[in-house]
Amino acid sequence: MDNINVLIIEDTPEQSEALNKVLLANHYNVVGIATNYTDALSLFYQKKVDVIIIDVFLNGNPDGITFAETINIVPNASKPFVFLTNSQDRKIFERAKLTKPFSFLMKPFNELEILYALEMAVEKFYEQTNVFLSEDQNTVVSHDSLFIKKKNALKKVALNDILYIEVEERYCNIITEKEKFVILISLTKISTLLDPNQFIRTHRNKIVNSNKIEEIILADNLIILKGNYKINLSDTYKDFIKKMNILS
Amino acid sequence: MTPKFRLLYLSIIFLIPVFLFSQIKSNNDVIIKKIQKKAAEYKSEINFTKSQSFYKKKDWDSTLIYSMKQLSSNTNKEIADYCHFFRGIAFKEKDLYKESKKELLLISNQFDFFTSVQIHLGTISFQLSEFRTAIRYYEKALQSPLIKNQYYSFAKTQEGIGSSYIFLKEYNKAEDCLMKNLQINEKAKNKAGLYNAYNILANLYYVQGKNAKAIHYFEKAYLLSKDINENYIKNLAAFNMAVFEENRSNFKQALGYRKEAEQWNDSLNNQNKIWAVADFEKKFAVAQKQKQIKVLEVENELKNNQRNWLFFSAMSLLALLTAGIYLYAQKVKNAKIILLQKNKLDELNTTKDQLFSIVSHDLRSSVNALKTSNTKLSATLESKNYEELNQLIIQNSGIANGAYSLLDNLLHWAMLQTKQLYFHKESVHLYSIVQQMEYNYKPLLLDKSIEFENLVSKNSFIFVDLDSLKIILRNLLDNAIKFSNENGKISFTTATTKNSFWDLVIKDTGIGMTQNTINELLNDSELLSKKNNSEIIGTGLGFQLCKQMIQKNNGILAIESEINKGTTITLSFPKTAQNG
Repeated sequence: MDNINVLIIEDTPEQSEALNKVLLANHYNVVGIATNYTDALSLFYQKKVDVIIIDVFLNGNPDGITFAETINIVPNASKPFVFLTNSQDRKIFERAKLTKPFSFLMKPFNELEILYALEMAVEKFYEQTNVFLSEDQNTVVSHDSLFIKKKNALKKVALNDILYIEVEERYCNIITEKEKFVILISLTKISTLLDPNQFIRTHRNKIVNSNKIEEIILADNLIILKGNYKINLSDTYKDFIKKMNILS
Repeated sequence: MTPKFRLLYLSIIFLIPVFLFSQIKSNNDVIIKKIQKKAAEYKSEINFTKSQSFYKKKDWDSTLIYSMKQLSSNTNKEIADYCHFFRGIAFKEKDLYKESKKELLLISNQFDFFTSVQIHLGTISFQLSEFRTAIRYYEKALQSPLIKNQYYSFAKTQEGIGSSYIFLKEYNKAEDCLMKNLQINEKAKNKAGLYNAYNILANLYYVQGKNAKAIHYFEKAYLLSKDINENYIKNLAAFNMAVFEENRSNFKQALGYRKEAEQWNDSLNNQNKIWAVADFEKKFAVAQKQKQIKVLEVENELKNNQRNWLFFSAMSLLALLTAGIYLYAQKVKNAKIILLQKNKLDELNTTKDQLFSIVSHDLRSSVNALKTSNTKLSATLESKNYEELNQLIIQNSGIANGAYSLLDNLLHWAMLQTKQLYFHKESVHLYSIVQQMEYNYKPLLLDKSIEFENLVSKNSFIFVDLDSLKIILRNLLDNAIKFSNENGKISFTTATTKNSFWDLVIKDTGIGMTQNTINELLNDSELLSKKNNSEIIGTGLGFQLCKQMIQKNNGILAIESEINKGTTITLSFPKTAQNG
C-alpha cells in the first residue's frame, strides 16, 4: 500500500506549514507546496498527484478557483481537490461551485476537518459517496487504483499490482506480489467498479487480474498466476477463455 | 303720309313671325314623323337620339349641345344633315339668324327636307332684310316638285316672295304672288292663312295708295279676325282699321276701332299680367320654400353641432375619469409599496440596533477583559510566577475563544439576515462532524473536567449544509459546556424516530432551565433577550442563530430541561434531499 500524494496550493507559509504537519502526521505524502498559480500548474504536471488542497485566494486574487477551472478543462487530467476559504462570500462560492466536484473547507479548521475534507473530495470525485465513513465499506475504486481507509489515513494500491481478489463475506482479500491485506467492500460492488476485461471472475469468490495469468491448466481446473499462485477455476466461469487470444 | 307708312311697316313686321310660325307648325308633323323613323334607324347614336328628342320637346339649348356632340364624333352624312338642321332651327328659334343661316347652309341638297330648308333660309334672309336673297331661296323652294302638293308650304312661300317684293317696292310682282297665296288659302279654308293673305294684300294696296282696294281687304281681314280666337290678331286687325279710317279722316269710326284695338290689347296684356303674376307667385313660393329649406339646413347643422359637442365632451369626461382612476390606483399601489418598505426598513433598523448593542456590550467587555488580563500577565511575568502565568494564558485563550465565536456568530447572523450566506446542502457524516467539534473543545472540556461522549451512529448521514451544521453544533456544545458544572457529562447520541429523519440528542448534566426560559428561547419575536445573570448567560444571539439555521436546513428543534438536572436538546435532520 502506498501513501496518498497531496499537492498544497497556499500562499500563507504558516497555513501551509500547519497543513504539511497534519498531513505528514497522518501518513500522507506532500509532493509540493505552491504559492501561486504558475507554480501550482507546473508542480501539478511534474509530480504524481492524488489529491490537491487549494486556497481560494492566492495573494489577494481568486487564483485558486482559476487553477481548479484550468485542470477541470483538461480531460482525464483532473484530480480530487478541496478548497480552503476564509470568507463565505456568495459570489466567490457561486464561481467555485462551477468546478466539479466541489468541496470546501472553512478556515480555521482542525486536523479532523482537513482529513474529513480530503476523504470527501476523493469520494465525490470518483462518485462513490459515503464510503469511508460508513461501517460496511472502506474502499473507493478509481480507474487505476484502490483508495483504502486504514484507521485515520487514506492509502492506495495500484490496480496493476493486484494478482487476485478473494472474497470472504463482507471482506475482500487483496493479494499483490508483495503483500496481502483485507479491505471492506462487497463482491458485487467491486466487480461492477473494476474493468471486466482486466479482472475476471474465475470462481464463486475469486477475481483474477488477467494480466498476471501465466498458465491455465484446464485438465486440473487450475490457473497459475505470477509468483506461482494457484487458483481454482470453476466450470461456471470457464467461458472467459473463449475471449482470450490463445496461442496454439 | 309718312306716319301711315311707318305704321304699315310695323304691322307687316309684326305679322311676319306669325306666318313663319304657322309654317313650321304645319310642316312639323311630317318632319317629326320622319325624324322618329331616323332615330329608330340610328339607335346606337345616343347623342343623335337625345338631340332629336330635345328637338321634339323644343328644348333648344339641349338640342344644340347634343347635336354638337354628335357632330364632333360623326361620320354619317345623313346624321350630319339632320344635326345641322336641328341646330339651324334651334338657332332660328333663339333669334340667332346668322348662326342659323350658317348651319342650314351646311346641309347637303340630298337632305329629305331640303325644300323646307330653303324656305327656312328664305325666312331668315327676310328677317335679316336681305329681300333679294330671300326671294332667291323661296324660288328655289318653288322649283321643288313636291311643293305643289303641300299647299301650306306653297302658300307660305308665295306669301314670303310677296312680302319681299313689297319691301323691294316691286308691287306688281308682289300682287301676283300674294294673289296666288290668297287663292290657295281660300281653297284650303285656312282662316289664319286667309287673314294673313288679306292683311298683306291690304298693306300692299295701302302702300300703293289704292285705298279702295286696301279698305276692301282690311275689312275682310277685320271680319275674319272676329272668327279667329287670337287676341293679338284681333287687336292688329282693329288697329289697322283704325289707322286706315284715320287716314280717311273718319275719326269717329277710327276711334271705335282704336278702342276695340285697345280692348284686345288690354286683354292681351291682362293675360300677360296673369302669367307674370303666376310666374311671380311661383317664384315667390319657390323662394319661400328655399328659405324654409335653408332654415331647416341651419337647424340641422345646429343640431349636428350640438350632438357632436355633447359626444366629444362625454368622451373627454370619460377619458378624464379613466385617467383619474388609473392615477388613484397607482397612488394607492405606491402607498402600499412604501408602507411595506417602511416596515421592512423598521425591521432592519431594529436588527441593526440589536447588533450594535451586542457589539457595544459583549464584545467590548470581552476585549476589555483580555486587556486587563494582559496587564496582569505582564505583571506576573515580572514576578516570574509561572504557575499563575499558565493559569492566565489559559484564561486569556478562553476569553479570546469566546470573543471569536461571538464574532463568528455575529457575522453569520448578519449574513443570514442579508441573505448573503452561501448555502449548499449535501450528505454529511454526522459522527465525523461531532468528532471534529469535540476536537475543538477538548481543552475547554478538560479544563472543566467534563466527560464527553460521542455515541453517534457511524452510519448516520444527514442532508444539510455542512457549515451551518457546524455553527449549530458549536453553539449548542458551547452552551452545554457553559452551563455544565465541573465533572459534568455531555453526550451526543442518535436515534431514528421517523423514517426520513435522524435525531441528534445533545444531553448535558448542567444547571438546566425553567419552562419559561425554554419558551422564551423558542419564541421567534424574542430575538435577543436581556438576561439577569450576564456573567455566564450570553446574549442569546447564538441560540437564535441556531434556530434559524436549523429551520433553513429543514430541521426540527426540541428542548427538555430540568433545573439542576440537565438539559436535553433534540435536533431532527432529514436523511436525504427532500422534495421541494
